[in-house]
Amino acid sequence: MKTNKKVLICYIAASFILFAAALQPAAAQTYKIGLSLAITGPTSDAGVPYSKGVEDYFKYANDMKLLGDDKLDCMIKDDAYKTDVTKRNFEEFLDQGIELYLNYSTGSTLGLKKDFEEEKIPTLPASFHAGNLDDSNYIFLPIVSYSGQLIGLAEYVTKMHQGETPKVAMFIHPSAFGRGPVEDLKKAVEAGLNIEIVEVVEHGKDLDNTAMLKRLSSKGVQYVFCHTVQSPVATMLKDAQRLDVAASKFGENGKMTFLGIHYTGGNDLIALAGDASENFFWTTSYTLTSEDTDGARIQLEMAKKYGRDDKIANSHNYTNGIMVAQIAVEAIRRTKAKGKKIVRENLYEELNAMNGMNAFYPVTTVGPVTYSKTDRQGVDTLQLYKVKNGVFRSTGSTFTSEYYKKIQ
Amino acid sequence: MSYFLQLVVSGIVVGSIYALSALGFVLIYKSSRVINLAHGQIIASGCFITYALNVWVGIPIYLAFVLSLIITFFLAMGVERLFLRRLIGEPIISVIMVTIGLMSILDGIIYLTPFGAENFSFPEFLPTTPIMMGDVSISWTQLVGVIITALLIGGFSWFFKKTTIGIAKRAVADDQLAAMSIGVSVPKVFGLAWATAGLTAAAAGGIIGNITGLNFDTLHAVGITVFPVVILGGLDSILGAVVAGIIMGLIQQFAGGYLDGNWGLNSTAEVLPYIILLIILLIKPHGLFGTHEIERV
Repeated sequence: MKTNKKVLICYIAASFILFAAALQPAAAQTYKIGLSLAITGPTSDAGVPYSKGVEDYFKYANDMKLLGDDKLDCMIKDDAYKTDVTKRNFEEFLDQGIELYLNYSTGSTLGLKKDFEEEKIPTLPASFHAGNLDDSNYIFLPIVSYSGQLIGLAEYVTKMHQGETPKVAMFIHPSAFGRGPVEDLKKAVEAGLNIEIVEVVEHGKDLDNTAMLKRLSSKGVQYVFCHTVQSPVATMLKDAQRLDVAASKFGENGKMTFLGIHYTGGNDLIALAGDASENFFWTTSYTLTSEDTDGARIQLEMAKKYGRDDKIANSHNYTNGIMVAQIAVEAIRRTKAKGKKIVRENLYEELNAMNGMNAFYPVTTVGPVTYSKTDRQGVDTLQLYKVKNGVFRSTGSTFTSEYYKKIQ
Repeated sequence: MSYFLQLVVSGIVVGSIYALSALGFVLIYKSSRVINLAHGQIIASGCFITYALNVWVGIPIYLAFVLSLIITFFLAMGVERLFLRRLIGEPIISVIMVTIGLMSILDGIIYLTPFGAENFSFPEFLPTTPIMMGDVSISWTQLVGVIITALLIGGFSWFFKKTTIGIAKRAVADDQLAAMSIGVSVPKVFGLAWATAGLTAAAAGGIIGNITGLNFDTLHAVGITVFPVVILGGLDSILGAVVAGIIMGLIQQFAGGYLDGNWGLNSTAEVLPYIILLIILLIKPHGLFGTHEIERV
C-alpha cells in the first residue's frame, strides 16, 4: 500500500515537472562554430582581416539578436598556415561540439577533406580552389572557384581584346593553391575559349623579374593573369613599370596588361606596388569599400562598431570573413525558423536548399549565394575592378563565366 | 644583345643584394664559427625599423635608414650578450639551436606588431623613371642598393684588413686560444661580429623592402634564399659572398631569360643555383673562397 502511494506521488511530481517545463519558454541555445586559419605565418596578411571579419559578424549577429536569444560562439585558432596544426585545431573544435566549421588554406582543405566527409560537417573554407569540391560533399566555397574567376577573366579579355587571338601568360603561386586553376583554363581553351596560353610561370622569391618580363614580352604576351598573393605581383608590376612593358590602358598594343583574381588584389596590392599598380585589373565577387554600395556602408559601420582600424575596415579579406560568417548565420537562422535542431545534418540540408527562391543575398557580394547538391560554389557572379588614381574602381557590369559552366 | 645586357645588369643588381644579405652570415661565421639561422628575421627587423622611423616618427628616409643601422647594430649586440655569450665554449650545434630559438622569438615579436600581418610600402623618395643605358634599364632603387652594397662591402673589407679590431676579429677566427693569449677579448669580438652583422642585415632589409614592399614573409625568406650564396662563397669569406652573390644573381637571370618557358622548363631560376652549388661544392668543398682547414689527428 505504502509502495503504491510512493509511486503515485512520484508520478504526480514528474507530471508537474513536465507540465512546468512545457510552459517555460525554451532556454537560449549557444551554437558552436570553429575557425582555423593563418593569423601568423605565410598569408597572415589575408588571414588577420579575414578572422576579424568572421569575429565581428558573429558579434554583430549576437548583438543584433539575429538568432533571437540564441548565441553564436565562434572559436578562432591560429594554424600558422600549417596543415598539421589545422588538423589538430579541427579535432579540438570537434571535441568542443562544433556544428559548422570554417577552414582557410587550400592545402589544409584538401588535406582534411576526408575528415569533413567522415564527420559530415558543413565546411566553408577561405580557399576557392575548385579541387576542394572533388569527391567531397560537405565543402561549400563562399564564391566561385579560382578556376571560375580565371576563366571569367579570360572571357573578359576575349570580349574586349582587339585583333587576333590574345596571347596570355599565367603568373602563379608555386603551390597547390597556385596550380589549381591552370588545367581548368587549358580545358576552357580546348572547349573553344579564344586565348593562347603562351606560358605558365611559377614565381619564386624574386627580387627582380626582368628576365621573365623580357622573355614574355619577346614572345608577344599581351595579358598576364596572376593567381598568387599580392607581394610577388607588386614586385612584378614595379619591374614592368621600370621596363616600360606595362600597358597604360587595357590591351595597349605592344605592352602587357596585368590582371588577377581574388587574392592578388585589394588595397594591399596598392600599398605594396604604389603607382605601378595603376591599370591593374582584378576580379572578385565582393563589393569594395572604395565604391558607394550598401555592402560597403554596412561593412564600414561594423568595423567602426567593433573598433577596427581603417586598414582592416577596408580590406577585401575583412569582407571575405564577414561573408562566410553571414552564410553560417543564415543557414542557422533558416534551420531554426523551420523548427529544426541546429545540428550538422540540418545545416547541411539548409545550405543545399539555398537556391532559386531561397538564394541568399548578402549585401557584401555582387551576386546571390546559391548552393545545391550539385553546386557548392556560392556566389557565381564576378565584378571587374581596375586601379585608378590609387583606388580600385569597378569597371563594367557584373558577369559570370560561361566556359567554366561548360567544362564542369 | 640588349636582352643579354639587361640580364647581366639585373643579375649584378640582384647578386649585389644577395651579397649584402649574405654578409651578415659571413661576419658571424668568420669570428665565431656560428651560422645564425635568425638572419632573415634580423633583415626584416631592420627594414621595419627604417619604415617605422620614417613613416610613423616622421624622420627623413636617409636619416631613418642610418638610425636603423645603428639601432640594429645595438640590438644584435644585445642579442649576442643576452643569449649567445654564455654559450662560448659550448658545442656549435647548441649555439645553432639557440639561433633557431631566436628565430621563433623574433617571429613572435614581429607578429605582435602591425608588420607581422600587414603590408606596407616606403613612400617614394627616389625618381620612379628608370635610368636608361641604351636599351638597358636600372631603377634608382636598384642603383642606390648597389651603391650602398658596394660601400658597405668595401668598408668591411678595409675594416678587416686595416683596423686593429678588424685584425683582432680575423685573429679570433683563425685561432681563438692564440688570440686570447695575445690579449684579444674573444667575447668582445663575438659581440662586435653580431653587431656588424645586424648592421648589414638592416641595410639589406632597407634595400629589399624598397624593392619588394614590406611583407614579412618575403623579407625573412631572404635569409634562406641567400644561404646557397654563403655556402658557395665559402662561409668565412667576404669576397666569396660578393662573387657568389653575383654568380647566383646572374645564374638566376640567365636561367629565367633563356631556359624558363622553353623546352618545357619552368622555374629553373629557382633550382639551377642549387644544382650549380652542388657541382661547385663537389669540386671545392669549402666553397669558392672558404678557408681550407687542415686538421692533423
